[in-house]
Amino acid sequence: MREMWIWSLVNNTERIVMDNKLTTKSMLENKNKTQIMVLTSMVFAAALVLAIVENILPPVPIPVPGVKFGLSNIAVMFALFFLGKKQAYTIGILKAFFVFITRGAIAGLLSLAGGMLSITVMILLMIIFKDKITYMVLSIFGAVSHNVGQFFVITIIYAGMNMWAYFPVLLVSGLAAGIVTSTLLKYIMPAFKRLL
Amino acid sequence: MKFFKITDIIIIVCILAVSGALMGIYKFFISEDEVKAELYYYNDLITTVDLSQGKERLITIPQDNSILLQVYEDGSIAFIESDCPDKVCIQAGRISKTGQFAACLPNGVVMKIVPEKESDERDVDLVIGQ
Repeated sequence: MREMWIWSLVNNTERIVMDNKLTTKSMLENKNKTQIMVLTSMVFAAALVLAIVENILPPVPIPVPGVKFGLSNIAVMFALFFLGKKQAYTIGILKAFFVFITRGAIAGLLSLAGGMLSITVMILLMIIFKDKITYMVLSIFGAVSHNVGQFFVITIIYAGMNMWAYFPVLLVSGLAAGIVTSTLLKYIMPAFKRLL
Repeated sequence: MKFFKITDIIIIVCILAVSGALMGIYKFFISEDEVKAELYYYNDLITTVDLSQGKERLITIPQDNSILLQVYEDGSIAFIESDCPDKVCIQAGRISKTGQFAACLPNGVVMKIVPEKESDERDVDLVIGQ
């Protein structure tokens, strides 16, 4: 037990160092635990507002059902890019829990699978490519992997879905969603910064 | 890290090209005129619906009374009633081509269009047999 604790301590310091390298302007410097927690929950609140706004808007007029931009992922991306990995995962899990209590177990599971996969993929890309990758490309790959994660769960729960047939649709809708959410993030950025 | 670089356009074009190619391959190999609709309730195939009769009719399923499907004269099928909250299944509209599907995930009902003759696995067997 004690060894585990020491290990996690080492792991934590490593992570903090890495975060500073990744996001050169990490906004959590000189902030204590409570401030970080409050900040994370405010970003989560922003994610909920974005999700509600998206529900009010009319559905996207394309022939594929159930495809949307996932505006609340703007908040997740903000957390990942400017707060830290732990905060991004926290918001992803809370978001899935919110979907679970408002829209049911299956929707919650889909949200969780998509969210976790997309955050993990974006983190991997950030580690591999460091500063060479742009926010827009990160966002596109995040959105595509979000779709893939959701569809993976659908193929597990429901039989007979042919993943191959829908892969192009997942790619194109992820591409569009990634471009839209990263562009919106760019313009919402000043509002987010005011939280800090 | 920058927001956008001009080289990103290459990545975007690559994604579009890959999805276009996949779609083309899929259309080329799988498109067939004779189709039927398969209805699944979670993991079980409940029923198959013949779409080539050209008769309009309503279809209900015993597992969920709130769901109503309609077959149209032109050989398409659509969800027309369901008690789910988001109505994604109804928004999917009328589907009629191989590979299309409509799903009511909250109720666990998935409908997909498959070629009339053989299932995919049988097709592969036939090729090997020959």
